[in-house]
Amino acid sequence: MTPEQITLVQSSFERIKDRPAMAARFYQELFQRNPALRPLFTTDLAEQQVKFAQKLTEIVQAMHRLDELLLHTRALGARHVGYGVRAVDYQTVGDALIAALESVLGEQFDAPAREAWILAYNIVAETMLEGAAAARPVGG
Amino acid sequence: MTLPRWPIVGRRPELEAFARALGSGERTGLVIYGRAGVGKTRLADECASEAAASGHPTQRVAGSRTTALLPLGAVAALLPDGLGRLGPDGQVNAVALFERARQALHDRHRGRRLVTVADDMAMLDAASLALLGYLAAQQAIFLIATVRTGEPVPDLLTDLWRDGRLERVDLHDLSRANVDTLLHLALAGPIEAGAGREFWEVSRGNPLYVHELVLGALESGALVERSGVWHLEDLLPATSRLLDLVEQRIGGLPAEARSVVELLALCEPVDLGYLETTAPAGVLESLERAGLVTITMAGGQVRLAHPLHAKVVRAAMPKLRARAVLLAQAERLAAASDTTGPAELRIAVWRLDAGGRPDLAVLVRGAHLARYAHDFRMVRRLMEAVPSGDLDAVGALLLGEALYELGAFDAAERVLAQGQELPGSEHTALRLAVTRAKNAQWGLCQPDKALAINAAARAVVTSAPLVEELVADEASVLTFSGHPDRALAVLGSVTGGDQRARVVRAIAGAVALASAGQTAQALALARAGHADHVALGDEPAIAHPAMHVVNQAFALAEAGRLAEAGQLARAGAEVVAAQRVPIAQIWFAVNLGRVAILQGRVATARRFYAEAAGLAQSSRFAGSRCVALSGLALAYAMLGEPGAAAQALAERAAVPWFGFLGPEQHLADAWAASAARRPAEAAEAFRTAAAEAASTGHRVTESWLLHDLMRTSGEDTSARLLELAAACDSPLVSARARHAAAGRARDGAELTAAAGAFESLGAMLLAAEAAGGAAGAFGRAGDRRAATALQRRSTALAAACEGATTPALLHLTTVHAAAPLSGREREVVLLAATGLASRDIAERLYLSVRTVNNHLQHAYAKLGVTGRAGLAQALGSTP
Repeated sequence: MTPEQITLVQSSFERIKDRPAMAARFYQELFQRNPALRPLFTTDLAEQQVKFAQKLTEIVQAMHRLDELLLHTRALGARHVGYGVRAVDYQTVGDALIAALESVLGEQFDAPAREAWILAYNIVAETMLEGAAAARPVGG
Repeated sequence: MTLPRWPIVGRRPELEAFARALGSGERTGLVIYGRAGVGKTRLADECASEAAASGHPTQRVAGSRTTALLPLGAVAALLPDGLGRLGPDGQVNAVALFERARQALHDRHRGRRLVTVADDMAMLDAASLALLGYLAAQQAIFLIATVRTGEPVPDLLTDLWRDGRLERVDLHDLSRANVDTLLHLALAGPIEAGAGREFWEVSRGNPLYVHELVLGALESGALVERSGVWHLEDLLPATSRLLDLVEQRIGGLPAEARSVVELLALCEPVDLGYLETTAPAGVLESLERAGLVTITMAGGQVRLAHPLHAKVVRAAMPKLRARAVLLAQAERLAAASDTTGPAELRIAVWRLDAGGRPDLAVLVRGAHLARYAHDFRMVRRLMEAVPSGDLDAVGALLLGEALYELGAFDAAERVLAQGQELPGSEHTALRLAVTRAKNAQWGLCQPDKALAINAAARAVVTSAPLVEELVADEASVLTFSGHPDRALAVLGSVTGGDQRARVVRAIAGAVALASAGQTAQALALARAGHADHVALGDEPAIAHPAMHVVNQAFALAEAGRLAEAGQLARAGAEVVAAQRVPIAQIWFAVNLGRVAILQGRVATARRFYAEAAGLAQSSRFAGSRCVALSGLALAYAMLGEPGAAAQALAERAAVPWFGFLGPEQHLADAWAASAARRPAEAAEAFRTAAAEAASTGHRVTESWLLHDLMRTSGEDTSARLLELAAACDSPLVSARARHAAAGRARDGAELTAAAGAFESLGAMLLAAEAAGGAAGAFGRAGDRRAATALQRRSTALAAACEGATTPALLHLTTVHAAAPLSGREREVVLLAATGLASRDIAERLYLSVRTVNNHLQHAYAKLGVTGRAGLAQALGSTP
């Protein structure tokens, strides 16, 4: 990513005032894309939304410091192994995230912002998967 | 420079497939298909290391040309007693040998399958393949095999595949997003847009190419990190490992196919028609099938399929052979086409590559064509091939300009001065003078020398439009050395009859007008200048057309239209990054930094200024580096980091002083003194700079300086600020005056209105301070309700300012305090007041939770409260 793209991700995220609402939209988009993911979330969805918004905030804020970011994403990825999340699901999650951002940011979510978010999410997803791989036993 | 372990990106579904296959018991192997360099080996090794991390025994076997000559040579590691002994019949009993190997593996690994990577199956001999097949079928090993697309698949694999015992994955090149992620993780930080694009364009997503290119660029010093951002300072090199790789691909080609590849590597694209008449039938088809060449149907042109192939094949070719091919092609093209247009440039380059000397006229025309394409490296190369005695005035102009653009300022001065001694048209004399003056101003940072060159040229140049251009150029030097008033006076005599003069006038005039507070006129002039410049085409001795866009962004910021200024500068920065125009990239970054400072986004400002300073260093423009470092120091000072601010000022002191935006640059000195708790020095610096701004026609900057003087010291500057507001058409200048006047009158309603004016311009830090001032005024007037509401608003606005630490903000949190809060305490308190938990504050500020709590406790004591609830009340905000 370029420094400008990191800034763009952070500044566009700053503009979202109601983050739990954005999180709600994200889960709606996610389950619409793949209803089979719904049972993976056993906790109260409202609580899940708050957690998601918090975690996303932390990640966005750490975006310009890779070592800080990795602390968040690797641990997060490792936790998700236990939930049965697979690599293909990360693509669905990414699509749902972009759709949710688009719906809350409207016209402010222009082409450069979208590209920056796609790149940022790709870094987050790859490093979460790295954390997941380290936490998952391989083979029998 | 050592990198962390090279990351693996975009391969997680494949790794999961491996994990499933290994765990299933039904599968006995994984086969990875894909083109050379797509990452088969890397994926196979990653699979093995994940298996090893989970306690599986692992082993790696690999074939090569030499091991392929010896049966079982590649898999010796799997054989407990080598090739065995001769049996009684004088032969090796292969079945018994294989069974002994299986038994030994079983015993050694207590029945667990040995995860075995067999890299590049095609290089394994038949016996090795048979052993691997036996061991896999008997569950002694789990096989991970790699096979290149297009190579024969060993029977062993097809058999296992048919029986459903094999998992198969097909690897493809990485997507653009994955290349970006790979670079980000490999370099552990962001990369400048142009550099990221270059890696993508050259690698086309081939992971091995990315890997080799990054390592090669780091080694050669082409890829460097400055202020946390990676920059590419030179073209990407080819590396020896890539050479091996591509050599392997083309090594087996028949001679006639290889010579087609070599021809393309040197001279691509080549006409399909020509190749068809020279290469035997079927050669092109086979190369296309092998994925080595691409044939464009529409244009009838043939290229190598991958840009790196050309680089690598060229590097591997014997010099004499390359020379012969190049000269032959140059002759052919020269005979076939008329010697104008792009063909001419290609001919010249080929002759140069061949070590020959093309004729002089062709060199110069070639340089002109390269100049038209902004390829200054090529211009320099062509013109430096001309013996200096043969260089005429026009040649000196071309070479001098290229040297300037490439940052070789002293050489440019020599060549251009020499060119002025040579006979030439009046027109050429003008261009030489203007370019030499530009080099003196922007390259050597000597505006007086630039003015002297300009004055001397007036003695030689007499025709009216050319004189007009010299006058406009004088104004340009004046504007960009910090004298907008003198520039505007000089521009008064430019009628604008000549288009070139109009373009130069627009560049000098737009900035001067904006600085003087005539922002509407400035914007109109910059827009017209851009249109004129585009219509003019890109002639030597004028700045890049993007500079008009830089100037529009500057004028928008001076007009207080901050969001528009930022938007325009971001869009412009993207365009010039793609075109690699460093000077425009630097100035867009500087303008993005200024806009962020004015918006109160001080951490963002620091990043942009740091980027500008880094770019300026790479491109050797010391003047723009001076301006960028001033901005960087200002941002650090406003972040409450006096040490870092002083460091940036020290770096600035090491480059020549550049007068452009001079009074604005002194904001850095004043704020650095303020951050270092030297208020008297800060106030004096503001006053001195404001006086300089007043005497040079920087009205908008003067209002900035006087307003900041009021903000940091409380000194009443409202009278002059009101005068400036009347003289400028900028709502930002008006809002500053309103703020100062309302502060002087302690008028809560007016301060609230000033806060609203700042907020509507997007100047959040100023809005926060004005709202805080309003809260104080209402409080003193006994209106507790209004005071609390304004205090709350101020806190909310301040939270958007990325950790800005200004005296007025400090005052906000200490208005009720028994002792002043420290910068950290204030920052922690402000975040706590927005409802963040200690843990979140700790993460945001990179502190421990205990440290955060310590700061909070101290702040509670100073504010006389016992906890968060009281804190919120003390700050007039609710959690």
